[in-house]
Amino acid sequence: MGMPFSVSLVVAIGLGALVGAGAVSGARAELEPDETGVSLTLPPPAPHQVWLPDVVLRHSKLFDGDTGQVLGIVDATWGPSGRPPLLSRARNELYVVEPVYERGHRGARRDFVTIYDAVTLDVKGEIEIPPRSAEVGHGVALVGLEDDQRFLAIFNQDPSNSVSIVDLETRRFVEEIVIAGCALVYPTGSRSFGTLCGDGTALELQLDEQGHEQRQVASDPFFEVIDDPLHDKGARDGARWLFASFEGYLHEIDFSGERPVVAARWSLFDEAQRNQKWRIGGARHSAFHRGTGQLYVLVHQGERGSHKDPGAEVWVYDVKARARVRTIQAASLLPAFLRPQMDVARGSWMDWLLGAVLPNPGVHSIAVTQDDAPLLFMRHGEIGAVGVYDATSGRHLRDLDEVGIAGAGIVVP
Amino acid sequence: MSALDGWIERYARQMARRVGRRSVLGRLGTLIVGGAMLPLLPIARGFGPGPRDAVAAPEEIDGHEGDPTRCEYWRHCAIDGFLCSCCGGSQTACPPGTEMSPITWIGTCRNPLDGKQYGIWYNDCCGRAFCGRCFCNRNEGERPVYHPYRNNDINWCAGAKSQRYHCSTALIIGLVEEGQPEQ
Repeated sequence: MGMPFSVSLVVAIGLGALVGAGAVSGARAELEPDETGVSLTLPPPAPHQVWLPDVVLRHSKLFDGDTGQVLGIVDATWGPSGRPPLLSRARNELYVVEPVYERGHRGARRDFVTIYDAVTLDVKGEIEIPPRSAEVGHGVALVGLEDDQRFLAIFNQDPSNSVSIVDLETRRFVEEIVIAGCALVYPTGSRSFGTLCGDGTALELQLDEQGHEQRQVASDPFFEVIDDPLHDKGARDGARWLFASFEGYLHEIDFSGERPVVAARWSLFDEAQRNQKWRIGGARHSAFHRGTGQLYVLVHQGERGSHKDPGAEVWVYDVKARARVRTIQAASLLPAFLRPQMDVARGSWMDWLLGAVLPNPGVHSIAVTQDDAPLLFMRHGEIGAVGVYDATSGRHLRDLDEVGIAGAGIVVP
Repeated sequence: MSALDGWIERYARQMARRVGRRSVLGRLGTLIVGGAMLPLLPIARGFGPGPRDAVAAPEEIDGHEGDPTRCEYWRHCAIDGFLCSCCGGSQTACPPGTEMSPITWIGTCRNPLDGKQYGIWYNDCCGRAFCGRCFCNRNEGERPVYHPYRNNDINWCAGAKSQRYHCSTALIIGLVEEGQPEQ
């Protein structure tokens, strides 16, 4: 059935009036065609940025901790470690150590240091290194950038232990240094780095100006490898490294002198806390804020053998005073994980409900930024979300969501 | 598989390994039916009457402690990785197409059936990408990377032709005199 003439006329007049009004007033201008082929660049490095590697997706995302936005992504090859890039501000480059197989998962292995432009994230070059770079699940202390940012020290394991030195200025592999019985690399200056050894000592390797081995100097034995070993996840304070032991004693190693010197250990737990079975645990459980001299340690209550378990509290210590100064509670990351999956808005009643009913699995890793208003990041290795806290007040500020699938790595550049 | 499904699976697995097998059984036994359940627990049998001096066949264990596809399986006390029993292999053999690394880390696990301590080799199977099933991480007696033969973070495929990690086995070395320092 057709529209009555009178009605059609009214509709036609009305439409004509609307079109005419728009054309005359210009209230809604046409959108301009977008330019094609545009790629953004990274903003300058800032204190609240954090790299979050993922071992399944094989890349690291750079997040802005203040906004929760992703700024860019850098690839890494397949492997269990998760390999966040190291930043040279002096050279404005990022470096990723990558074992690469000729046919994906098979064929000849070759290892490279891949060099990225830190602004465009374009690959600028690569340096081939011996195909022995270590793959260790926790991903800690596998690669160290020396302080003047000229040399890279890469821990090798095939399974004998050594360190490859790479000159980033000339883009050349310098040499491989055997560190029998010792493992991992902890930078201590521009031409030196420390390692921990199976005989209960710390070893320092000192390099000459060209990056060649000059000498190796060991500390006196200071820890029990079987009964109370040091966690190999340390926290750096300049030329000092702080390592907690499995039983909760802090060991401070000073690498500034001729040989590593270890201060008398001190206990992070009092007797009552020990009786309550408080322990240090996780994947990256220790972080140090240089400006305040405060050590952040992830703790849980558990038995011996729980040294990789997640924790839901961070205890903060004034290292000089050897005293705990505050406790920061880790909120459950499960709501942050589920919000994007379930299309739940943060702060909604559903979000509240998720927070009320879901358990708190704790976190495996922490990192603290080094500025005067530091952020504390907390990550669970199997939950794709990261909590962001005011490190001073302990206030939970926000969550970074859709971080990845798996990985406990967390690195503040 | 949706991300939610994946999370639920991962979380269930995580809970399975985070909440210790003995603590789960112990709590259930105590809270639900009291001490009456304890003699039925696998761990209790080792202490009960029976030929404890003979070396028991380790796989004659009922429940999760006898199931090599479970994190609670008794040999898995220091494992970190995907269980080869879930990947086309077994607790003693690699899945087809993969190679067993000749070097490995070592754990010491207590067989609940005979109460004896056994040295366990956790040889990795190598040459393929992650299996991705039955991830398990337990750390009884595990030590940091500088004590490599007690460390389960290291990719032990470093000793194989290809260093691609696929899954982990749990082979009996033999009886040992002492358990882990934790035990």
